[in-house]
Amino acid sequence: MKGLHGLIFAYGKHLGLRELTERRSPASVPFGGRYRLIDFALSNMVNAGIDDVGVVLQGNYQSLLDHVGSGKDWDLSRKHGGLRLLPPFAVTQHRDDSAFRGKMEALAGVESYLEKIRQDHVVLADSDTVINIPLQEVYEAHLKSGADITAVCTRTLGEPDESATYFQVDGEGRITSTVFDVKEPEGLQGLNLFILSKELLMKLVAECKRTGHYSFRSAVLQGMADQLKLNAFVWDGYAAQIRTLADYYGRSMEMLDPEIRKNLFPRERPIYTKELNVASTYLDPDGGCINSLVADGCTIEGTVENSILFRGVSVAKGAVVKNCILMQNVTVGEDAELDAVIADKNVRITDGCTLVASPKYPMALAKNAEI
Amino acid sequence: MKKECIAMLLAGGQGSRLYVLTSNVAKPAVPFGGKYRIIDFPLSNCTNAGIDTVGVLTQYKPLELNSYIGSGQPWDLDRSNGGVHILPPYMVEGDKGSWYKGTANAIYQNIGFVDMYDPEYVVILSGDHIYKMNYMKMVKAHKAAGAACTISVLEVPWDEASRFGIMNVDSEDNIVEFQEKPKEPKSNLASMGIYVFTWKKLRQYLIDDENNPDSSNDFGKNIIPAMLSAGEKLIAYRFEGYWKDVGTLESLWDANMDMLSRGDLDLLESDWPIYARIPNQPPAFMGKNAKVEHTVATQGCQVYGEAFNSVLSDSVTIEEGAQVRYSVLMPGVCVKKGAKVEYAIVGEGVQIGENAKVGGDPMEVDPDKWGISVLGPGAVIADGETVAPKTMLNRNHEEVSR
Repeated sequence: MKGLHGLIFAYGKHLGLRELTERRSPASVPFGGRYRLIDFALSNMVNAGIDDVGVVLQGNYQSLLDHVGSGKDWDLSRKHGGLRLLPPFAVTQHRDDSAFRGKMEALAGVESYLEKIRQDHVVLADSDTVINIPLQEVYEAHLKSGADITAVCTRTLGEPDESATYFQVDGEGRITSTVFDVKEPEGLQGLNLFILSKELLMKLVAECKRTGHYSFRSAVLQGMADQLKLNAFVWDGYAAQIRTLADYYGRSMEMLDPEIRKNLFPRERPIYTKELNVASTYLDPDGGCINSLVADGCTIEGTVENSILFRGVSVAKGAVVKNCILMQNVTVGEDAELDAVIADKNVRITDGCTLVASPKYPMALAKNAEI
Repeated sequence: MKKECIAMLLAGGQGSRLYVLTSNVAKPAVPFGGKYRIIDFPLSNCTNAGIDTVGVLTQYKPLELNSYIGSGQPWDLDRSNGGVHILPPYMVEGDKGSWYKGTANAIYQNIGFVDMYDPEYVVILSGDHIYKMNYMKMVKAHKAAGAACTISVLEVPWDEASRFGIMNVDSEDNIVEFQEKPKEPKSNLASMGIYVFTWKKLRQYLIDDENNPDSSNDFGKNIIPAMLSAGEKLIAYRFEGYWKDVGTLESLWDANMDMLSRGDLDLLESDWPIYARIPNQPPAFMGKNAKVEHTVATQGCQVYGEAFNSVLSDSVTIEEGAQVRYSVLMPGVCVKKGAKVEYAIVGEGVQIGENAKVGGDPMEVDPDKWGISVLGPGAVIADGETVAPKTMLNRNHEEVSR
């Protein structure tokens, strides 16, 4: 049938995220006060009317399974289709370092699932990208252009990123060259978001399997550039890729900017996430809270400034929290002082404890730590 | 499939004493406490108590309530066996059928629904109370006593007893007499409007009551007195904890303020969660000059001004220089720059213009003229406009008296 099928790659490692990915894959790294990174890819698909989404998993995915569950929070718990979690069930060769080396290898690992896709087009998305994009517009542009593959890109180059892909594009939007691993990038930066037909995808997977290629960008975007019509879709809205702790901290703090929040959380395209049942946040007269994002279920009796508080955080009397990211259920004891700290879930900061880092080099505390 | 116990939730009342707040929705759908609607309390109590089959009897303006309940998923009541069911009045053969004439008649018309589950016990609940309660403890007491009916009661201050339905009991808490709003109460045990019935018994009393043309088909007025005079065993179940009927504007405001003080009604406690259907909004944002004290804020809120002793529901905006005190702001309210809102209940989506003034402080107003100001959902207050204390406006900005 006509339409889009979603495939999300949630297997990356991103060692640069250090403590945050010790016990989870990047896809389930908490972001923006109440979300996980994968929520953006999932919600973009659901908001574009996509009914079927496959999530390709590998390793360290228990936290991700906990988060997405049956998919009901994204309306993806269905009798037909809906959410399918795809561990690498079809991998035949076992390698010691079993991580997928690239998208084509990951897709080959779930080839039997791909065969059963009902829709005639597929959108491929990474799970580490913070973006709220109307995918149906990308789809329409893809159909209209007659391209074989449409790649979503951004004009706003962030810091030069060696892991990113860059495209040169001609006047018609056709991609003329694809490069990566470059020190001084030019052109449009790829957002690892692609649309292509199911038929082509199956062909590419089979071809790469035959030739032993595993990378989508080198084997397909570069290797088959002369056989395929590759088009760029330029996205001018907000987008961020979260690969290092510095990315994580910097991009998180951008959420304090009302304009960026407006762009990322428009009313007509909500970002869905796993619902927790917590009451509204209580702000005590003894405390104060400015320039901060505060999720539900928090109790704030101390002072909070320029910070992001996830659900269920408590900040006791006399505590001062500045420039921090405190994840779900973090507790900050009385008179504690925190500056530029990223505290993962359930971290307990004891009374009177002082932890001061700088926003340039924030300090990350691993899940469940007690300091 | 047989169930030991099911619940029937009376949610059809208009809630006329909430005036403009219920002009377009049924009372159980009125927002409460920042994240909730009144009906979340009985529904969550059912789920937490292990009751997985709930009939919700609706009649008055049910659309918003129906869509809020939906499949029952937020309360874990989307079940293939049982779950939550909306039960409106319906037609029967020969163009018959009628509106629900009273609380007992509403259950009478749904005898067929209850019979499908063939329960031993039926819990009757209403959709206008704020409380956390384990109904199964009450069912256990009912079973142990071998009662036909168990009525949950609350000890109220003696001087308030004449405002309630009062149960007079013997030394073993058997109910010997029921008095509706007695002038000279003999006891201070007030009925909370929560009943457990042995279904076989109740079924027969409902049929008999329906055959009595003089009956007003009401549990308190007819069924309970009939059971008492027939010598059935009725017992009082003493409830301890927070309970409030939020059927009036004042009590709705009071209950919201009670929640803020986090005494008996602490919703942040996680041992008995209250579930709700929640719109997806980013976390609340407190601006650089925000001043927020003794207040709850909910996702989607943006506070650039000041809020004291107030309840801010989801997607409330308080602009720079605006001040909100002792008020309940329902979802989507916007208080524009420099506006001041005091001692008010502000309905969903109300827009309060720049430098407008709504309500007033009881210390600064003549006691006769003071009261909670109420703005109906969707009302728009112009820039610079003043809405006096005790004033109530509907969505068309027309004054409504109470």
